[in-house]
Amino acid sequence: MRYVLIDRFLELEGGKRAKAVKCVTRGEGFLGPSDSYPPTLVLESILQIGGTVARIVATPGSRTMLGKVERATFPAFARPGDRIVVDVNVILSRPEGTMFHGVATVDGKTVAEADFMIVFLPMALTPKEGPVAREQRRLLWQSLGIPWDGQ
Amino acid sequence: MDEKEIINKVRQCVATALGRDEDEVQVDKKLQSDLEAESIDYLDITFQLEKTFGISIDKDELFPQKIFQDEELVKNGVVTEKGLRFLEEKLPFADLSGFRKDPRMTRVPELFTVGLLVNYVKMKLASS
Repeated sequence: MRYVLIDRFLELEGGKRAKAVKCVTRGEGFLGPSDSYPPTLVLESILQIGGTVARIVATPGSRTMLGKVERATFPAFARPGDRIVVDVNVILSRPEGTMFHGVATVDGKTVAEADFMIVFLPMALTPKEGPVAREQRRLLWQSLGIPWDGQ
Repeated sequence: MDEKEIINKVRQCVATALGRDEDEVQVDKKLQSDLEAESIDYLDITFQLEKTFGISIDKDELFPQKIFQDEELVKNGVVTEKGLRFLEEKLPFADLSGFRKDPRMTRVPELFTVGLLVNYVKMKLASS
């Protein structure tokens, strides 16, 4: 992960669910035709929110990684000025990983929906987080009152 | 739930986890060599089976990893007698008769067919 694509958590229950917001600005730098915000980045926000839900209850010494995206649909585009609200819920959880369902909406209209799996791996087997993402995540966790794991 | 229904639901689970058409997922198909399952897919299959059949599958119960890491169970690329007993104990739903004749480690993944998953689910449902 190079950048945190979550602006604010509205609700967060570790190991269960979360609701969070990502606001799209004209300064994103990745806008496509008709100012469309790339759907894959909406998906990335969904995945990062799921990753946070899993990570804050992960066993110390393990790290979360995306296992796979089972299914993803993108019925509409988000555009600058949109406030993307993402709801992520755990469907099933096992010691090896967690399966999630996530929906991203803008003004109640779905822009992305995905089923995905986050897996737990020993820290030694996972790539090191980039410094920018690490600092962004530290600040995000601080804003949520989550103890910083320092990892 | 009768056997036909179990088979169809297991095929659906595997098809969903591997992104395959259900027609491709027949009971004799090997997960790895025929259906190109990768390591993460085994976890996905476990999730799908738990969700579909309402069963709880312990870690390493369906896809035991220990045999790949224990030197007493595998020597020089061949599953030892102890390893075979381990597999029989861990996989009572598997038919190991063919594997016993040529117990090369590289053949372990071939044990894992769609039919094996059907047998496993039948065993779990019978014991619940």
